[in-house]
Amino acid sequence: MSESARKKQRVGSRTSEGAADNSGTIYADLQRLATAAPKPVTPFRRAVSVTPTPGSRPIRTPGTGRTPRGGPATRPTPIRRNAPTTPHAIRALRERANAARTPGRRRSGRTQRETPRDILRDLSRVLARDTRPVQPSPQEQQRRPRHSALDLPDVDDGPDPAVPRLSMPLEDMYDDDSFHEAPPRQSLLPNLPDDVDNGTIQSLEFGRRAISEDPRMMFTTRVSERFADINELGIDGEEYEVDGTFINRRRTLNPDELLEDVAEEDLDDTTTEIRALTGRRDGRPSDVDLGVFGEMDDDTEEPTFRFTIPPRMQAQARDGAREDTQERVQEMGAQIDGDEDDIQAGAGEDQEETAVIPGGDDDDDEGSFGITGWESEHDNADDADLQAYRGEVSAFDRSLQTQSPERRATKQRADRQRRALNISRFGHEYPSFPAATVKTLATGFAKSQGSKAKISKDTLAVLVQTSDFFFEQIGEDLAAYAQHGGRKVIEESDVIALMKRYVTVYIYCTDVYICPIRRLTLLS
Amino acid sequence: MAHTLYPRGTVKKIVKAHSNRALSRDVDILIFLHYALFMQELVKEASIASKQAGERGLSARSVRKVREGCLRGFKG
Repeated sequence: MSESARKKQRVGSRTSEGAADNSGTIYADLQRLATAAPKPVTPFRRAVSVTPTPGSRPIRTPGTGRTPRGGPATRPTPIRRNAPTTPHAIRALRERANAARTPGRRRSGRTQRETPRDILRDLSRVLARDTRPVQPSPQEQQRRPRHSALDLPDVDDGPDPAVPRLSMPLEDMYDDDSFHEAPPRQSLLPNLPDDVDNGTIQSLEFGRRAISEDPRMMFTTRVSERFADINELGIDGEEYEVDGTFINRRRTLNPDELLEDVAEEDLDDTTTEIRALTGRRDGRPSDVDLGVFGEMDDDTEEPTFRFTIPPRMQAQARDGAREDTQERVQEMGAQIDGDEDDIQAGAGEDQEETAVIPGGDDDDDEGSFGITGWESEHDNADDADLQAYRGEVSAFDRSLQTQSPERRATKQRADRQRRALNISRFGHEYPSFPAATVKTLATGFAKSQGSKAKISKDTLAVLVQTSDFFFEQIGEDLAAYAQHGGRKVIEESDVIALMKRYVTVYIYCTDVYICPIRRLTLLS
Repeated sequence: MAHTLYPRGTVKKIVKAHSNRALSRDVDILIFLHYALFMQELVKEASIASKQAGERGLSARSVRKVREGCLRGFKG
């Protein structure tokens, strides 16, 4: 026993010396145990194994004296006796015992350092830290490029179709239009700066077809087409309607005094001209999504327009206007007797002029347009007067062109027309409602309303215009009521019916029932 | 009232021109009454509109704004 112990110590010393580097660590102790313990023990075990185990236990418990010697290494020895069967088993038992006896050290030392769980935890922590920030960063990056990518194609798509589709055809169209339209304008411009506008407006006005009843027009335009036109023109209703609308426009544009304010007329004309021009341009591009075809169509259409129209134009625009005025004058009755002759004479002259012109247009091709007519007209006798008109009065005033002969004759007529400038739908002249009456009424009502009674000029003008609208509306309504009653005379009952109608409408318009009742009482 | 409230002949002429019909003897008085009612409503509405717009007194703009509705209200 002592020898074995010595051997153990020696071996342990040897091993300890060999493993001097590891002396401080738990590994070194275990290695000592592993190397040193079995060699002396194996013979010892065999001897012990030969001897019955129960006999050995009591012996060993007193022989605990070994344990102080071996220190930690001696402790496994009591376990040896429990299962001394094989060296593997003994080593396993020792290791178990050591593991059980020194839990704290291993946990504190090895387990935390070496266990895969710890490694995995460290990995997970590291990875988690890394992944969490990593995931958003790529998402953001993806989003950014997505947005940018989406935006870029959108921007590319948006302008690509829009710009070429709109700009290209429009530019082409305008260019073409400019090519086609430019020459006439230029030709017109040097002659008469205002004529361009007048020309466009005349082309618009041609719809009037005032040619009616002029024998000379009949003669000049013997073509079957003209007969058809004349037949159409023969219908008085159309003429009236056209004239009526035209006249109405003039009223709306210039409420009372067209003749007095030339500047306003010019403004209106310019606006109308602009409208006409814009309308044309709009029509062309609207046709245009296929630019070339639209251009072609326009090219074909424009000459046709000018072919058919210019003969009528020049004949009608003037003569029509003058005839219209003649008709009005005739309807007006006795006032104009002396002037009619002048007007007819002027119309006759113009007709002759125009008669010469359309022949030339027919001979000529597209190039002539309406312009030739203008120029030819300028050549005619009334150049000074015509230019004067064109300079002063714009195309809308063609309806007023009757004034031109009138101006020649006397200014009295102009004055008279100022008075009764408005012409009703039925061709009757009527004065606008007197402003003084409107003012007294309005001031009275304004005072009753509690507001200051002062009414400015602008307000008064608008009120007068509104009252004109009102009387126009009332006149039509009263005529409708009278016709419904089978009467040719407007009676009080018609007006009362109108006022009752107003009451009913008033109920719908405002929530107050008192006012209509008051008016009923007034009526009754 | 030395002078008449309104020119009867003018009113008759205007209505006759628009209606293309003859007027019985005293219709113009009723018509003028109707017109006075119209003017009253017009001025009232215009004053309201001008007050809403913060303008002083009756402005042409307010009258223009209001008159269409008033005319529609007085349509037969």
